[in-house]
Amino acid sequence: MQAWRRIREAWRQRGAAWVRRRQGEDTLPVDIQRRRVYILPTRAGLGLAVLLLFMLIAGLNYGNNLALLATFLLMGFTLVGMNLCHRNLQGLRIVAAATRPGFAGAQGQLDLTLEPGGPRSRFAIQLACAQAHALAPRVDVGGSRVELAIPTPKRGLQNLERFEIATTFPFGLFRAWTWVHLPLEITVYPLAQGSRPLPAGRDSREQGSALSGPGNDEWSGMRPFRDGDSPRRVIWKAYAREQPLLVKEYSGAATNWLLLDFADLPELDPESRLQQICRWVLDAGNSGARYALALPGRRLPADASAAHRERCLRELALCQTGQVS
Amino acid sequence: MPDRTSQLKIPAATAWLLASFTGGVALHADRLPLLFVLVPIITCLWRGLAETRPDVRLPAAWLRGVLALTLLGAVLVQYRTVNGLGPGTALLVSMGAIKLLETRNRRDRYIMIAVALFLMLSACLDRQSMLRAPLYLLLTWVCCITFVYVANPEVRLPASEAVRITGRALAMSLPLAVLLFIFFPRMPGQLWALPSQGSAKTGLDEQMTPGGISALSESSEPAFRVRFFGATPPPQQRYWRGPVLHNFDGYSWRRDRGQSYRPNKLSYGGNAYHYRITLEPHQRNWLFGLETPQSPPSPNTFMTYDLQLMALQPVTQTMSYELRSYSATPATDELTQLGRQIETALPTDRNLRSNALARRLRSEAADTEDFVRRVLALFRDGGFEYTMTPELLERDSVDDFVFKTRAGFCGHFASAFVSMMRAAGVPARVVTGYQGGEWNPIGSYFVVRQSDAHAWAEIWIDGAGWRRVDPTAVVSPERLTRGLLDILPDAGSRAERLARGFAFLQTMRQGWDAANNWFTENVADFNIRAQLSILRRLGFDAPQLRQLGWIAAAGLAAWAAATLLWLAQRGPQQPIDALGKGYQRICRWVVRRGRGLGRAPHEGPTDFAARLQLERPDIAARVTPLLIEYAQLRYGRATDGERQERTRRWLNEVRWLRFAA
Repeated sequence: MQAWRRIREAWRQRGAAWVRRRQGEDTLPVDIQRRRVYILPTRAGLGLAVLLLFMLIAGLNYGNNLALLATFLLMGFTLVGMNLCHRNLQGLRIVAAATRPGFAGAQGQLDLTLEPGGPRSRFAIQLACAQAHALAPRVDVGGSRVELAIPTPKRGLQNLERFEIATTFPFGLFRAWTWVHLPLEITVYPLAQGSRPLPAGRDSREQGSALSGPGNDEWSGMRPFRDGDSPRRVIWKAYAREQPLLVKEYSGAATNWLLLDFADLPELDPESRLQQICRWVLDAGNSGARYALALPGRRLPADASAAHRERCLRELALCQTGQVS
Repeated sequence: MPDRTSQLKIPAATAWLLASFTGGVALHADRLPLLFVLVPIITCLWRGLAETRPDVRLPAAWLRGVLALTLLGAVLVQYRTVNGLGPGTALLVSMGAIKLLETRNRRDRYIMIAVALFLMLSACLDRQSMLRAPLYLLLTWVCCITFVYVANPEVRLPASEAVRITGRALAMSLPLAVLLFIFFPRMPGQLWALPSQGSAKTGLDEQMTPGGISALSESSEPAFRVRFFGATPPPQQRYWRGPVLHNFDGYSWRRDRGQSYRPNKLSYGGNAYHYRITLEPHQRNWLFGLETPQSPPSPNTFMTYDLQLMALQPVTQTMSYELRSYSATPATDELTQLGRQIETALPTDRNLRSNALARRLRSEAADTEDFVRRVLALFRDGGFEYTMTPELLERDSVDDFVFKTRAGFCGHFASAFVSMMRAAGVPARVVTGYQGGEWNPIGSYFVVRQSDAHAWAEIWIDGAGWRRVDPTAVVSPERLTRGLLDILPDAGSRAERLARGFAFLQTMRQGWDAANNWFTENVADFNIRAQLSILRRLGFDAPQLRQLGWIAAAGLAAWAAATLLWLAQRGPQQPIDALGKGYQRICRWVVRRGRGLGRAPHEGPTDFAARLQLERPDIAARVTPLLIEYAQLRYGRATDGERQERTRRWLNEVRWLRFAA
């Protein structure tokens, strides 16, 4: 059984390599051309073929012409079904493809936007990528978006070599499919786990200004709200007076901020350190604190914005722990 | 609960599955025992209720098992076998009904579709008639629609769309079906036969009791149809021979078993008739032929010593065969001793008075021919009456008939005549069959109905062979030239009599029969012989199976290519709404009127109107308001209600355009 599975996997890989060589890498928007649509009967299709063979033999043996007529009609129907199935896929367009990061052991996401590539609506388009499946019941002229929740087992950059677009519409007797090779990667953050408390706050004056961003301590003025500003710094009273959304700015001279340092956790192995730091990043972000990140070969100055959080998580995802002793 | 109604709806896939299975059962409903119709109905309802009501549960596995075993037992009790079409169908229906209670996943649903298709197959094997063919097509269509819903439950396709998609696919496969139907090589015979079904035998019997044939005369069911190639025999010669009866017990006549004698050699003379008979299934072995066929029509038929045509298998399906018959067939040798003994045998203690009468007449007669004349004269002048509702006869049926009731049907006359011949030592036998036939002018063939059933006598004349004598013809000469229904007004069903009263009903009936017969001859009975003759007509000198195969394959390829092209061509077409159709209509009208003056592809409706104004003001005057209104409706601002109303009015005007001067 094991051997059989290995053989199958080997064949699958060879097939995938062949398809990849044959089609080359795709660029958006992808038009699914006739040449790259593959089609084979499904199990139901094979079953119907057996049934039709039986009907044919019975009809021939008994010289029963109505049975034969029905057999031939269903044969034609099956073949037309094959064409319709092929046509349901052919000409479909992928106009956008994007990934969203995920945590290790959880799921990332692949977002695809499909368009029918003509006035003809497409039905029951199945998408499959790395054990994830999704279905677009209809793809109409306006386009429709499909989200695939893709399992992300390991921290790092997960390369989505290819994904499959398939359909068995309309009769389920044939399955037409194609592979799409787009340069897509999912950033996989470390799993956020670890029970250590957040490191104590620091004074930026002690450390010099290298790690400090805009300060958090002395109120120095107001400026309009920007994306990523902490809600704690919004001047809600002003907003309540129907003034625009403003945030407080601090001079940053004597503020407490956190340093999330890879080097602070020598007793853990590198992956666990990253997991702990990931936990801290999330916690710090939730509490609205400013934090800085120090990873081997990479430092990010203290900030509290959501964009900073994303940057930190990305750094954690890409961190090469092998460089550390 | 906002979504309550949608929860209570049966999923489309299940609903269509129920429809296909019910349809499959319905095709057999009139032949299946009641139990096997009720069980599927119950399980269908059960399934439907279980889908819509949360408190109705489907049966547990053990209950399904018990049900399956019970139904298997019922099949065995009913049919005593599971082999054969009838029990097979009942079994299929039962198992389908139970499967319906446990269909959960897609695979189960596909199995149910297969069950429905199998039920259609067995219905085809059971009966092929013109009336049922559309039903089979309908069931096929329903199964196709079911495929759509089973394969794509998530799509929530509206039923109209599924009907349209499958209808189009079936319409596209129709040319292929017809092509393969004509050219797919058929087998010359059967590799294996269906076990006999034991369904009710119809038509003539192997036994003739007084009054037996008159029961048949009430049925206007066709027994067979005859198409003559060339000359048709006059009505007096349309005797279709069936079972020949030799054994008389004083009351009824039987076909003897085990006894036979050497058949006489015949010389075939008189008029020759070449014809084809399409025999309705009657579940018996015998075939019918015009008096007297020269040889059996096919290898699996034969002719008995008394010139009766027989098939090796009971006729369970419509059967066609060609025969050549001759009107005068004297024997060239003598009747054997055994033959003479068999054909003069009578019970010694029965019908004593009539036997004595026969012997007296024989002694008064100069020769056999004279004796026959005298007996017939007795029937003609002795106050005998031809009626369909004679009195019942006593044990000595001939005595009773000749001396007491003197009223009877053809069977009475034939029986009495043969009995009296035998009593006087003249070898004689009763022949049953049909006489006459109704000419169908629409289809150019004769229909011989059960009501044409007849019985007559054959007597042996030394030196001349067997000769037909029809005592009924003496009593009621019109019987030969006109149908039974014409001479006996009470004969036939009420509908039958009504149809005879009105000429157009008669024509309709004949048209219907002709259509049915056309279907039987050209569709149901289409075979390798017909295929080869088509090849011959196409110019093949020595047609072979192989050539048929090649043509079928080439046709398949051509069809596949044509289908692909057609689909590809239709690909980029915009689905057009009513407004667009109206617009196209205007443009076409301008092309017709303006002799090729049409809208250029880049022109919008207003540009087009402006150009028309320059080139053909007369046409423009007619269509400009319509074109401008189109642009308004298509691109302008209007509330939905207003737009609808204006569109309606606009479409109306566009429709009137074609009547514009």
